[in-house]
Amino acid sequence: MRRTREEVDATLQIAKLNPAELLPAVHCLAFGPGASGATAGDLCLLELEPALCQQLEAGHSLVIRGDKDEQAVLCSKNKTYDLKIADTSNMLLFIPGCKTPNQLKKEETHSNFIYTEIFGFSNNYWELRRCKPKLKKLKKLLMENTYEGPDSQKEKDSNRSKYTTEDLLDQIQASEEEIMTQLQVLNACEIEGYWRILEFDYEMKLLNHITELVDSESWSFSKVPLNICLQELGPLEPEEMIEHCLKCYGKKYIDEGEVYFELNADKICRATAQMLLQNAVKFNLAEFQEVWQQSVPEGMITRLDQLKGLALVDRHSRPEIIFLLKVDDLPEDNQERFNSLFSLREKWTEEDIAPYIQDLCGEKQTIGALLTKYSRSSMLNGVKVYNSRRPIS
Amino acid sequence: MVQIVISSAGAGGLAEWVLMELQGEIEARYSTGLAGNLLGDLHYTTEGIPVLIVGHHILYGKIIHLEKPFAVLVKHSSGEQDCDELGRETGTRYLVTALIKNKILFKTRPKPIITNVPKKV
Repeated sequence: MRRTREEVDATLQIAKLNPAELLPAVHCLAFGPGASGATAGDLCLLELEPALCQQLEAGHSLVIRGDKDEQAVLCSKNKTYDLKIADTSNMLLFIPGCKTPNQLKKEETHSNFIYTEIFGFSNNYWELRRCKPKLKKLKKLLMENTYEGPDSQKEKDSNRSKYTTEDLLDQIQASEEEIMTQLQVLNACEIEGYWRILEFDYEMKLLNHITELVDSESWSFSKVPLNICLQELGPLEPEEMIEHCLKCYGKKYIDEGEVYFELNADKICRATAQMLLQNAVKFNLAEFQEVWQQSVPEGMITRLDQLKGLALVDRHSRPEIIFLLKVDDLPEDNQERFNSLFSLREKWTEEDIAPYIQDLCGEKQTIGALLTKYSRSSMLNGVKVYNSRRPIS
Repeated sequence: MVQIVISSAGAGGLAEWVLMELQGEIEARYSTGLAGNLLGDLHYTTEGIPVLIVGHHILYGKIIHLEKPFAVLVKHSSGEQDCDELGRETGTRYLVTALIKNKILFKTRPKPIITNVPKKV
């Protein structure tokens, strides 16, 4: 059944093509015996970014993740992509061993007659679009069973949910690197192989031990020695927890062979504010600022801008009030996020809303662009304010 | 949750194929399916323009270097013995069989080849 050179030449003559104007090599294309359409689903084309292509060439794998009710995403080691099928009315044939004219010209042609089998064909391909990792579920899972210390009743109950890295990869639509970064943001800690979030009160207890020790030893907040902390506080709480707390609220460094932590005043002030605010629905702003300053360790200065994305000040009520509003408690989806913000407050200044939409910004998207898309602006007493584009039910 | 792994054969092991894009669709005569059938001859002119002859039609196309390359994936469904080292069923996975960085696009309509009137004997 194979076509011969003579047949090819005869066809050229019929087609009135001058062989002198053609490269000597010809590909004779036939469908392989197993060639099938991609509709069967055994075969598909995946469109790649050059960077992903390089990763595949280096032997790395990609993973498609999603539950039955979720939109599938594709993850590399460090990025997440939306996965969609793009249809085309054209026919796409995949041809192994087919050479481009440049390749033919470069190579010393051993044969002028290249018999090629078409491997398969398709009229769609998978398209990737970089997206934000879907990390909301991560906190939700870890909050199911927060850690309250080794002696708490909870730890004796083996039925409570706990998640290893492997479990999280299986549950979260994000790449491994993005999950690991988010675990750090959440101050999660790996305890006996499971990722846990510390119960806030427990974390505050640990932090208190540390700040009290710093105070009694008259250390500088920028030079807290790890070893002495562990010696002094070890009898009170597990050493790993003390070190974890130092990591969460400070930066590790080494000086003359000793490990030190530089504590972050902003983080400590913020945590103290959260502790105060979470026990009240609203707080008189002036009173709050006074209590807050008194509650932080001596030498630290509280400032309202430390509370971005954690608490919101209402300057229009009399007296002025402040209340807890955490950005990670708000919806992940753009439209839903704006809806919930506008149902909370009708008109926002850019300064107030910015901390609550900052995390929605894509790679090249700015807060301004998001506001233009999801809100309407107007002037109120000479200040630019933003409200919803449609009525909020 | 479902996790489907797309794995490549390993460093340096990926073949490079070519994608041919044809306007419309190729159909087999008598609906016998395309498998095993001849498609046609692909020539290049000395300037590098691809010329495809399919039956009594001739097509002129062009070579396009793809900014976004394609990977050809072949699905492997789980057999009974397909388990990972932990003994869990690995389920469906895709194997990257080849990468495609060049496309031969034939976007114009095919031109018919008018054969010579048969010579009288």
